[in-house]
Amino acid sequence: MKKFYWLIICLTAGFVLFFIGTPVHAAKAIKVGIVDCYSGPPSTYTNDVRDAFKLATDKINEKGGVLGRKIEFVTRDSKFKVDIGLSAAKELIMREEVDILMGTINSSLALGISDLAKKEKIPFLVTFSKSAKITGEKGHRYVFSMNENTIMAGKAGAAGLAKHPYVRYWIAGDDYEYGHAIADGVWKNLKQLKPDVQKLGESWWKVGEPDFTPYITAILSAKPDAVIVATGGRDCVPFLKAARATGFNKQVPFYMHTATELSTLMPLGSEAPEGVIGTSNYHFYFPDTPENKAFAKDFKDAYGRYPKVGALYGYITATFIAKAYEKAGKADTEKFIDALEGMSVDSPVGPLKMRAYDHQVMFPMFMGLTKKSPEHEFLMATDIVTIPGDVVMPTIEEIKKARCK
Amino acid sequence: MEFTSNITFIALCQQLLVGLSRTTILFIVASGLSLVLGVLRIPNISHGSLYMIGAFLTYSISTFFGGGPTGFWLAMILAPLSVALISFIMERGLFCHLYEREHLMLLLFTFSFMLVFGDVVKIVWGSDYRSLSPPEIFQGSVSVFGLPFPRYNLFLLVIGPLVALGLWLLTNKTKIGKISRAAAVDREMVGAIGINVSWVFAEVFVIGCFLAGLGGALVAPTQNITQGMDHSIIIEAFLIVIIGGLGNIWGALLGALIFGLTDSVGILVWPQFAIVFPYVAVVIVLTFRPKGLLKSVW
Repeated sequence: MKKFYWLIICLTAGFVLFFIGTPVHAAKAIKVGIVDCYSGPPSTYTNDVRDAFKLATDKINEKGGVLGRKIEFVTRDSKFKVDIGLSAAKELIMREEVDILMGTINSSLALGISDLAKKEKIPFLVTFSKSAKITGEKGHRYVFSMNENTIMAGKAGAAGLAKHPYVRYWIAGDDYEYGHAIADGVWKNLKQLKPDVQKLGESWWKVGEPDFTPYITAILSAKPDAVIVATGGRDCVPFLKAARATGFNKQVPFYMHTATELSTLMPLGSEAPEGVIGTSNYHFYFPDTPENKAFAKDFKDAYGRYPKVGALYGYITATFIAKAYEKAGKADTEKFIDALEGMSVDSPVGPLKMRAYDHQVMFPMFMGLTKKSPEHEFLMATDIVTIPGDVVMPTIEEIKKARCK
Repeated sequence: MEFTSNITFIALCQQLLVGLSRTTILFIVASGLSLVLGVLRIPNISHGSLYMIGAFLTYSISTFFGGGPTGFWLAMILAPLSVALISFIMERGLFCHLYEREHLMLLLFTFSFMLVFGDVVKIVWGSDYRSLSPPEIFQGSVSVFGLPFPRYNLFLLVIGPLVALGLWLLTNKTKIGKISRAAAVDREMVGAIGINVSWVFAEVFVIGCFLAGLGGALVAPTQNITQGMDHSIIIEAFLIVIIGGLGNIWGALLGALIFGLTDSVGILVWPQFAIVFPYVAVVIVLTFRPKGLLKSVW
């Protein structure tokens, strides 16, 4: 009987040792679940986020990961549909047991996942949705924005345009939340910075408008000093094409957020119009710093293409995750969030800070003019002016006001 | 009324010209749809997909031949012909067995083709945008009434009447045109006098789809070639066919003119709400002429 007793003790001791031992040998990886649209036109933007995220996590994992854990990620295609994306996010939480959610380019889906993240208490790092509601009106403890939003674009556009002598403006854009948000943002801020500006008129077209020629000829016949074009995503390309065909850019200067971005200029090749005023968060050739050069080179070596703006978002998201876990000292969600608030990281565009109050990364914005370049087949941005992050950001009072609503 | 201040006579004329060049594309696509609808009685929802394939093929053929003027002109000819070939296979392989079925069945069948073609385009060309430049002589703009007008749109203004003339000659002066008009009215009678109706149908279907391909080829240099161009065009083409009178090619011309011109003039007159103008025109036409402006063959 005594022998049997000893056997039980030995077995129990063995089990206990085994269970204590395992975490040391095979630490569970930190798992990130990315829900984004990987089919259809938006994938031009989202593939860069994912690829740069992978580039950054590979580098972190090579050095042994964070807290002795590796960073892993899984992706789910939302097909740009809110219901598919939401169920994918739920599946990632329940079956894949992800620690962090990330994505998505679709603003309605981003807001939906943000609600889910709040309920499930899982951090959600938004990449590419430009709705200002994410960190504004609908902001909460578990959601973070890793890219600029419409308010920031509006402030940046206004700050840049205020330096020009134009007075009589025409406003045109997508008849859709993004278009109206950008246009209102630019106009409201421009009016504050330069009270003598006048609005001659507005034109609004449907998203996916096939032919912009009649809109452009109608705008030109009103003879404005400059035009604010609030169009986004896939409409930028045909708009710029029509602008070149009608000679719009040669007659009236116009501003379009993302006009100088590689995602817009690349598909047009040398067909893109010159002299268009644009703003962007990232150019692989600007700022001309060793950090940016190294990042662009790594990305190009890995994927055979130049990094677009999405690559910056993916890269800094991985960097923020790794640094926040390190600072938190252990893999705990609440500690991770506390660490992330107010944290700064080094990035290809210089140090970036995560504002503690609204969880918005304080991106600087680069305003430039499109110009043909001798070394590339696509146009590049020149005369780039940096509009610093704190000028671009909505004030904390504005956020407070939006959240009170 | 703030919005009327910038409307001058010149601006209006120019806006009408821009509208006419858009009308050209709409007419070419809608007339093909109308032809198939009138003779074969097939509401071909995949017509828009053939238009999209035409545009993608134009891009691919043009870049294959180096992207210069030669490539462009070859693409303008070869892309619609390739679309015609695809439609020939569709008709001989599948549609010709289904003419006796109900319209609803045919409608669902063409709808499934639209989905299949949409995915085929995604597999072959991927999800990126494509953009094609017109040859050097059509780039940039010329001054018309002192305002800039894209050269390529002038080219479209020449093509439109040519296609209309060609269609008129085809339906009125050729044997196949006459037979197809007769077959549209009474298929059995035409068959009874010893004409192979099935082949007439095949020819008409191929001509109709050729027009879709031609529309796609012509539109390629003016916009970005992308998935989803099939959906927007098919809705507009059906609206045009309906207001013009089902199956009537001249109805398609009239419908395209109404649609294209209200769109462009609306943009000048009331730019904030321009989107609704062509649809308001459709509603007005259908309220007063529910069967369309011209005689419907249905």
